[in-house]
Amino acid sequence: MSTAKELGLALCPKCHKLNNLTAEPQQCSRCHGMYYQRKRNSLQYTLAWNLAALLAFIPANLYPIMIVYQLGIGDEATILSGIGEFIDHGLYPIAIIIFTASIIVPLVKIIGLFVLVYKAHTGIRLKPDKHSKIYHILEFLGPWSMLDVFVVALMVTVVELGFVTSVAAGPAINYFTITVIFTMFAANSFDPRLLWDKKVATQEPLESDKMSDSLPNSLPDSSLGKKGYK
Amino acid sequence: MNDKINTALFVACQQCDALFDKPRLKQGQLAKCNRCGSTLIERKVDSIERSFNWSLAGLILMLPAILLPLMGVTLAGQFHQASLFDCILVLIDRGFYMIACLVFLFAIAVPIVRLSGALYISYYFKFNRLKPSLLNFFRAYHHLDHWAMLNVFMLGIVVSMYKLLDDTELSVNLGLLAFIFWLICSTMSAAALDQDYIWDKLEKAFGEKEEQDEHS
Repeated sequence: MSTAKELGLALCPKCHKLNNLTAEPQQCSRCHGMYYQRKRNSLQYTLAWNLAALLAFIPANLYPIMIVYQLGIGDEATILSGIGEFIDHGLYPIAIIIFTASIIVPLVKIIGLFVLVYKAHTGIRLKPDKHSKIYHILEFLGPWSMLDVFVVALMVTVVELGFVTSVAAGPAINYFTITVIFTMFAANSFDPRLLWDKKVATQEPLESDKMSDSLPNSLPDSSLGKKGYK
Repeated sequence: MNDKINTALFVACQQCDALFDKPRLKQGQLAKCNRCGSTLIERKVDSIERSFNWSLAGLILMLPAILLPLMGVTLAGQFHQASLFDCILVLIDRGFYMIACLVFLFAIAVPIVRLSGALYISYYFKFNRLKPSLLNFFRAYHHLDHWAMLNVFMLGIVVSMYKLLDDTELSVNLGLLAFIFWLICSTMSAAALDQDYIWDKLEKAFGEKEEQDEHS
């Protein structure tokens, strides 16, 4: 199977138009946007955003995320102690949802992106089909960790009964939103095509044998992609 | 390296860069990459009509969804209710500027911009009034793809309702119904918009000049 890069073509990330690569950055002939063949410094950017997200995740768990005032007395709760309260009250489904959205998803995203960057850089035990699926799952999960922020925002607004009961947001909420937004930036700056590039580069002899079998002519003719459609 | 490859005859997979012949699809068909399994090209059924109608409905529902109260709380004889717009005012009032900003951006501004963008594009396509500025507009529209979080906000409403149900009397208002419909409309209008079709049309309308320049 030949790739667009091998034939000197580049795909516009915005309008998905193939262009002959003449210069980098290339201007798209359809939407006139400037772009690079691969996302530029993709792995470095991903690593940097990821590290920043990991750092912000520490204070997000240590500081209180929500402070409930009842008759003037404040009761602080961190993310984990809030989940503990749900379990005490027997609200298991909500406890599971909050735990997944605000602890598991950010952690899985950060660790998963670290692993992907490592694999794409070194090419050790790289399975591009599997790893690009993992990347899609990570990308999809991104916004769902904003759940806790929205819940706190709603609680602050709805439970506003003056002296009797009121809710305030703790300092952790800022760190938590920073974590979520940075992991989204990290996922956006990762380029899954690098995984396939690395695989082809590390398995060059094998891959070229296969290609010479399936592709007698080096030019992309009509027999090339027939199997691709479903 | 062959510089004379006719790029209009091929498509490349966005996820793994594999190269394929451009398939001719009927409405409702889609082509998948056989290396990584992601979608290459999809022709959606009745794309322009559907996205026009859904986004128009979404923009009409936007006002009640934002301004009508979502839910109310009764505790110790006191009643208080809040809408999405109150939410932002209260958050600013109490000094939580960052959350106020986020709720405004992800739950109000981005969905509205996306809905009106979809309406704008499908309006010009529906009445065949293509103009070159649509190229830039549609390119900018793609920047917002990841940042609409109405569905997450909906889950947030459900979770906080559970939380409040425990020790207060909770009342659900008309705003919640409008919000749910708004969520459905904006999701459907984003899903109905056929990007490949729109780009192809725009290229046919405005791409000829460029090609002539290249050939000469």
